[in-house]
Amino acid sequence: MPEIWVEKYRPKRVAEVLGNKQSVQAFLEWIRKWELGKPPEKKAALLYGPAGVGKTSLVLAYANEHGYDVVEVNASDWRNEARMKSIVGESSLQATLDGSTKKIILIDEVDGVAGREDAGGIAALKKIIDETRIPLVLVANNPWDPKLAPIRDRCLMLEFRRLRKSEVLARLKYIAKAEGIQVSDAVLEKLAERSEGDLRSAINDFQAITGGRKVVDESVIAALGTRNRVKQIFEALRMIFNAKSIRAARAALEGLEVDLDSVYTWLVDNAPLQIPDPNDLADALEALARADVYLSRVNKKQEWKLIRYAVPIMTGGVAVSRRHKPSGFVKFAFPSKIRFMQKTSKEREMRKSIASKIAAKLHLSTSKAMTQMLPYISFIMTHNEESGRALAKYFEFTPSEVAYLSGKEKIEVKAAKTPSRRRRKTRA
Amino acid sequence: MLFAGPPGVGKTATAHAFARDLFGDSYIEDGHFMEINASDERGIQTIREKVKMFARQIPMGGYGFKILFLDESDQLTDDAQHAFRRVMEQFSTTCRFILAANYSNRIIEPIQSRCAVFRFKPLTKNHVIEFLKRIADNESLEIEDQALEVIYDFSEGDMRKAINILQASASIAKKIDEKVVYQVMGYVSRGEVRKILELALSGKFTDARDEVRRILYVQGVMPSDLVSAIYRELFYLDLSEEDKLDLLDLLGEVDYRLSEEATPEVQLMAFLARLAAKAKKK
Repeated sequence: MPEIWVEKYRPKRVAEVLGNKQSVQAFLEWIRKWELGKPPEKKAALLYGPAGVGKTSLVLAYANEHGYDVVEVNASDWRNEARMKSIVGESSLQATLDGSTKKIILIDEVDGVAGREDAGGIAALKKIIDETRIPLVLVANNPWDPKLAPIRDRCLMLEFRRLRKSEVLARLKYIAKAEGIQVSDAVLEKLAERSEGDLRSAINDFQAITGGRKVVDESVIAALGTRNRVKQIFEALRMIFNAKSIRAARAALEGLEVDLDSVYTWLVDNAPLQIPDPNDLADALEALARADVYLSRVNKKQEWKLIRYAVPIMTGGVAVSRRHKPSGFVKFAFPSKIRFMQKTSKEREMRKSIASKIAAKLHLSTSKAMTQMLPYISFIMTHNEESGRALAKYFEFTPSEVAYLSGKEKIEVKAAKTPSRRRRKTRA
Repeated sequence: MLFAGPPGVGKTATAHAFARDLFGDSYIEDGHFMEINASDERGIQTIREKVKMFARQIPMGGYGFKILFLDESDQLTDDAQHAFRRVMEQFSTTCRFILAANYSNRIIEPIQSRCAVFRFKPLTKNHVIEFLKRIADNESLEIEDQALEVIYDFSEGDMRKAINILQASASIAKKIDEKVVYQVMGYVSRGEVRKILELALSGKFTDARDEVRRILYVQGVMPSDLVSAIYRELFYLDLSEEDKLDLLDLLGEVDYRLSEEATPEVQLMAFLARLAAKAKKK
């Protein structure tokens, strides 16, 4: 049984971790404080970003290099509060005095925890962060999930971005050499490109195409198939929008490794681009809206059998309604909804923080505070500096919140880690 | 007790005033009164933990009971409401419950039947104007009668809104006239709903969609409130009466689907797409 390369070539030392130098540095500074016996102000670090860019690897490499045991918990362990307490709770309270078995707690896929209905896991986690005596590292793909809000301000936020193609390529070359595999640069380059900055998938693909051989030529690249998610969904969309029957449209989803909700989002956001005629578009969106009703019944009442209506209505509905086609070829687009949510995540965060401060003072829900109070407060702060200052003091708004409310700064664009570093300096 | 009525008519204020009269000024600190906003804590977890914890403790200071105030209780999920109903029975000896809600029909029957229901009505014009005058006097503001009328019209009997408009107006002028009030309202409401409908009517569907997303996700407007705003504008659109009738019917369907927990964005998109198609036909 050959070794799995992604494990075999996981960095053993921090210096081997590729890319994201700034976040790696910030992580080292953070954990250094623990080493010195002075826990940092933020007792948890949240490493976030897309898959396969080295978040977990960084933690494991550091632990390996500095003699830590890693207590690893992942999302599936979470829901069960008792189990979580037994794993995490106990270790988090045992600070080792003799330094013999230093520990780091690593919680993978925290956003997976948040995806579930029950917020109990997050509440328990919040408590653990407050009480922990050893470094607590959280890893997530999407840190802006609203359910993570309660713990976000307790965490040092460290963003990990996609790796550069050159970085992925360098690592693949290294592996090729180490494994003694003869392979052309063109193949490796193709692999690096396909990976879109996800080193893990690049290494997996590489191992898959070599299939144990020592010489790899360019023909194998074709054999790789379409494992790439985005390519798959594009293919499915093409089939759906061009289907001649409901059955054909439905068949487009067969074998697709993308969840139904995502397909739905892609369909909704691509419909206006692919369906030029307003009447056709109205029909298509009505079909999608009907499918949404079925899907919400599925979710709400666990009526799984209703999925069989939702699927043909959403796929077939789009196909049947598209009686007119665009005059030229129109590309399928990444869902604008997802882009919109990413683009506005900082502003939404800020508004939420502002609203919760208003809510706390005024006996209101955050939702009402946001819609019924915030606009007026913003008006006053924009137009009257003196009253604005008084309001800012009363509600305890931060300077960036004041800037946002008084219209001086539209959206905060600073990286999340900047403020904590600044605070550290003023304290020293 | 269940206080039912529109926003800004004094439901929460009454509950607090009532508790203060009963338990004295430190009614909250002394643990006689707890407020939970169901809109922020909608789930069954809140009922099981927070509410139960409070309700089961024995009242102190020689009082026979304590008060749990559940604001925006119509936002509780059905499951949570059923759990709450049990709690109401279990701890009725130690705790009294006051619920506030905009829509009493979203409170399950068993809870309603255990409550004395008090209906709060929108405040009358006289009430609102009188109170605004009192504030203006206190804050030494000068305000024209016409401006007071306009504020009342915008407020629709919602005192919170009326006071907010007054305070915002005062922040830009010591002498408040009609124009000042319009300036505030222009900033606050920005005619966004109208804009969405006009974008859809002129065939700019994706722009309309982006605007809907802004309102829902960034501004945090409740989908049902957005539907209501569209409803109000619908009658004035430049469309034939037949088309308006179709659209009203569709909007009603959207409204109903939202109450069934359908996805607001998608349902509104379907409505706007139909609106755009009608415009095209015309």
